[in-house]
Amino acid sequence: MKMITNQAEARGLLVAAMIFACTLPLTAQVTSVNEIRTPPLRKLNMPQPKRVQLDNGMVILMMEDHELPLIRGGASIHGGGRDLPAGKAGLTEILGSAWRTGGTESKTGDQLDDFLEARAARVETGADDDSSSVRLDVLKDDFDTVFPIFLDILRNPAFRQDKIDLAKTQLNAGIARRNDDPEEILGRELNRLGYGPTSPYAAQPEYATVASVTRDDLVAFHKRFVHPNNIVFAIGGDFDSAAMERKLRDAFAPWPRGPQAPAAPTAMTAPKPGVYFIAKGDVTQANIGFVHPGIQRNNPDYYAVRVMNEIFGGGSFSGRLMNDLRTRRGLTYGVEGSLGANWDYPGLFEITMATKSGTTLESISALRSEVSGLRTQPFTAGELQQAKQSILNRFVFLMDSRQKVLNQAAILEFYGFPADYFRNYPANIEKVTAADVARVANKYVNPDQVAVLVVGNEKDFEKPLSSLGTVTPIDITIPELTAPAGNNAEGTALIQKVREFMGGKAKLDAVHSVREVTSATRQTPQGPMDMDVESLTLFPDRRRAVMKMPMGEVTMVMTPEASFMVLPGMGVRDVPPSQRDAARADERHDLLTILKSPDKYTFAVTGTEKIGNVDAKVLEVSTEGDTVTLYVDPSSGKVLRKVGRGGQVTDFTSWATFGGITVPTAFTMSVNGQPAGSGKVTTVEINPAIDPKVWQKPPS
Amino acid sequence: MKATRLWSAAILFALTAGPLGAQDLAAYEKKTTVRKLDNGLTVIIQERHEAPVFSYTTVVNTGSAQEVPGITGLAHMFEHMAFKGSRHIGTTNYAEEKIALQKVEETYSAYDTERRRPVGRDDAKVQQLEKAWHDAIAAADKYVVPNEFSKIVDAAGGTGLNAGTRSDTTEYMFNLPSNKFELWAFLESERFYDPVFREFYKERDVVQEERRMRTESNPIGRLILQFLGTSFIAHPYGRPTIGWSSDLQSFSATDAMNFFKKYYVPANTVIAIVGDVNPTEAMPVIEKYFGRLPKTPLPEPLRTVEPPQNAERQVILHETSQPVYIEGYHRPAATDPDNPVYDTIEMLMSNGRTSRLYRSLVRDQKIAAEAGGFNGFPGDKYPNLFVVYGFTTPGHAATDLMAPIQTQIDRLKTQDVSPEELQSVKTRVKAGLLRGLDSNAGMARQLAETQTLYGDWRELFREVDRINAVTPTDIRRVANKVFDVNNRTVGYVDTAKTPAGGAK
Repeated sequence: MKMITNQAEARGLLVAAMIFACTLPLTAQVTSVNEIRTPPLRKLNMPQPKRVQLDNGMVILMMEDHELPLIRGGASIHGGGRDLPAGKAGLTEILGSAWRTGGTESKTGDQLDDFLEARAARVETGADDDSSSVRLDVLKDDFDTVFPIFLDILRNPAFRQDKIDLAKTQLNAGIARRNDDPEEILGRELNRLGYGPTSPYAAQPEYATVASVTRDDLVAFHKRFVHPNNIVFAIGGDFDSAAMERKLRDAFAPWPRGPQAPAAPTAMTAPKPGVYFIAKGDVTQANIGFVHPGIQRNNPDYYAVRVMNEIFGGGSFSGRLMNDLRTRRGLTYGVEGSLGANWDYPGLFEITMATKSGTTLESISALRSEVSGLRTQPFTAGELQQAKQSILNRFVFLMDSRQKVLNQAAILEFYGFPADYFRNYPANIEKVTAADVARVANKYVNPDQVAVLVVGNEKDFEKPLSSLGTVTPIDITIPELTAPAGNNAEGTALIQKVREFMGGKAKLDAVHSVREVTSATRQTPQGPMDMDVESLTLFPDRRRAVMKMPMGEVTMVMTPEASFMVLPGMGVRDVPPSQRDAARADERHDLLTILKSPDKYTFAVTGTEKIGNVDAKVLEVSTEGDTVTLYVDPSSGKVLRKVGRGGQVTDFTSWATFGGITVPTAFTMSVNGQPAGSGKVTTVEINPAIDPKVWQKPPS
Repeated sequence: MKATRLWSAAILFALTAGPLGAQDLAAYEKKTTVRKLDNGLTVIIQERHEAPVFSYTTVVNTGSAQEVPGITGLAHMFEHMAFKGSRHIGTTNYAEEKIALQKVEETYSAYDTERRRPVGRDDAKVQQLEKAWHDAIAAADKYVVPNEFSKIVDAAGGTGLNAGTRSDTTEYMFNLPSNKFELWAFLESERFYDPVFREFYKERDVVQEERRMRTESNPIGRLILQFLGTSFIAHPYGRPTIGWSSDLQSFSATDAMNFFKKYYVPANTVIAIVGDVNPTEAMPVIEKYFGRLPKTPLPEPLRTVEPPQNAERQVILHETSQPVYIEGYHRPAATDPDNPVYDTIEMLMSNGRTSRLYRSLVRDQKIAAEAGGFNGFPGDKYPNLFVVYGFTTPGHAATDLMAPIQTQIDRLKTQDVSPEELQSVKTRVKAGLLRGLDSNAGMARQLAETQTLYGDWRELFREVDRINAVTPTDIRRVANKVFDVNNRTVGYVDTAKTPAGGAK
């Protein structure tokens, strides 16, 4: 054997040995992947970003990356569309656009466009359901000229009106086009079905809600959320961390704290199981979706769910759905499905696919079998191994660049997950057993709770959808923007009639307060829930409700000064803004409130509709940009039905008179044709004595 | 498996067209190894050792432009079959499966001949032959290990497993951890060494679903089908890559094998690999696996050239969907010396919020929600179209966009672009290349496509220098040459009133 005399030679020999090692088996013909030797994967040596928390609460993550002369980063800001009232749907889209295009105090958006594009630099804003953001992407040498623009946009946006108008025009174009593509319709409506019509995660911009968004709304959003304590700022690229940290501290440290963004709302209403249908004539396929509620990412069962998802709808083609519906049956080009898990609010269990119209029912039935199969088809050792290997071997791609490592760290920081979350991820996947997967499938997937949505051309289906049972049609006609209805003669005459029916002007004017006790039942995802509600109203704008429910007593108080709740075991809380706005809307839509101050509303009769056997007049009552619709018996002035916020329908089934005032004493409620609850009023007291203390917020 | 470049994808691609200049080329040449195997296959390896992963793209210089009537859609169909395995992958017993698959072809041929007999067809016989064919399929299916190819890729940690067929090329790609390099070489070479067309007729159904989804049930798909058919009367660019329904219902696995043998020639193929790969170690592995592909002659180049248009053409779709407008002008192939000028015009018209179409149609007139223009539709290997499009805002018809677009085109013809505007575009072209360099998958694709189109990957960098040399005079000259009314095809959706009863 030859002696190795120096390092260079040693290296040469090693290289030769390596080539030899490669060339040796080259003569043999490989006929199976099992014959291929796979060396262990080289260790991934990615540094973690540097984390700095400023005194004002802002968290900064920095990651040096000297491969290319670029610097990229941005601020992620808590607070988004889900924290806004449904009547302002579209605000986030308008904000995301006009925040940047509307410029700053010192420069118009157009001037910024010229300046930035000449440097191939980008500063962009965006807003979403749960957050908003300002980002920059710049050649390293331009950082010092572009960073001040980034800061200016972040802190001093001008929201110029012309760009708000432009953003509205573009958003309206999106609304106009939203029913053109069947896949888009399915995705959107399945989400709405999954979260329920009143969930903030299902809010949908309409021409009317877009029209209602004002510059003040954008300013208010910025004022409410854009504070350092709501921000995670992550930046990566070709810089020196110490120098960058100085620049960032100079820029951000003097910024005072502001109010904290609220916690994520989790409000959702599980869809009523059954078949829903949207008619679309100009298609040759049916788009089919299955949906019911999912889980949250912090659920300890997440890893088992992740493996179940991989077996069910994962892989490029190897998941059960693709394998069975595409490869083996040729029914579809694409089918996807998973039990969704969002970072800080519940996801949805969803399946979507498209198939030719003539195999629609066949596909629904096949998908139903797949869903029940999650409970009945045992997860085999082969499936488990395939799924776990795929997830584990793919893991390196989650962090194969410094930019990705930085982005992952920023997500964890933003949603309050531990920084070592991804480091522990492989071990957590490794631990999952077939029994775990079976357990979570049984726990979180329920074939009996699935809502099935079909978008398509029913005349070409192989059988009518009704062969599956009751079909609930969903109307997706885009509501036209009607000019504010204003008064019409018929409307003002009809509200007079209603006022007479309920007691007449003099008697109504004499009402200052009302106390009512109602015994009600509400439909919830867990089944019907009984509650007794005692409500107290001091006109015009004070309201207090005490709800006695199985889990305890909840008190909610709304006054011009405060809105708070007292919850069992949780003490005093402010009413979350979305709930507060909803309650205020309900207050505006209250019959007595309307009749006591009719000059604050407009009244217009827009048509006639049968309610039971009565030809009821449709009376649009509008104020402050929103509308409630009353269905009135024109012969008596009795209100038969009210349709308010979120399409909630209230049918008044009996009335009684107390101290000369006639009020409804029984009602049923429904949403989207599904029963939502009912109630009977057991006590009505006009002008009760009220202790002023009930309006005061108790110390928390 | 994308059949056609979707509109948005095409726009995105157009925006990311440019790389760095030649001064940076030298650095990248050092990281790049090119090898042409004896059978003619070109392999490019670009080293990037950031993380233990690599990406690749295989570009076969064959697309739907190589099809002839009767087999439209076959290039794309083969792409789907390239996921079905080989004699070593996807079967429990290849020897028996092979016989069973031959039987499928025989029975299909008999059935297809009888059912398409124009005169004297015997329906009972058709039924009987169809049953024999279905029985043969069922017999062959018994040997199939479904999706074994993709299961191997998945379990190895593969991501982005996909393929796409365009008019010009067919491309295959995925990403793997770098310790799986030899596994990759085996898998990728098996596809082209020894593909087995199992489950062909079921996959044909899948492709028909893809057609229904992309072309039939989507208004933009419907418009593009008509628009291209009107723009090209001779060249195959006028035919849909997804194919005609009649052909999709008729062509056979035998047709696909003939197409494969003629066009999937190593000398017609480029593979680019970018990532944690050492060429000294990798090239012998590549030799071992890809060296197996037999050296066969290159197919004859396409003969048909689209004749000069010499007349404006229009195609109008009366639909209930919202208005969409598109106009296209014939321009030369990407290899034309004026290509950098066309690229510059594209940037001026559509890149960013300073672009002319955005500022005029979107920002100022508010008649379009989105508007842009791009080259290379539907491909760029052959003379193709420069396309301008717009999506209207509510209350505007598609035709409302015609005159404002014309105004912008006239500006290109009659006024010199300002030095600032031109310089801004050139800066963005350079930065675009730079930003593309941090994606292994993106670079692999750009390298393989550039090598295929120009025979040299370095053109990716040189094109930036050529764009940097474009002058205002060049832009006016080219604009006056191409933007002629008789060279134009206009297509749009004319929105009909929604019928009573809601959404149609």
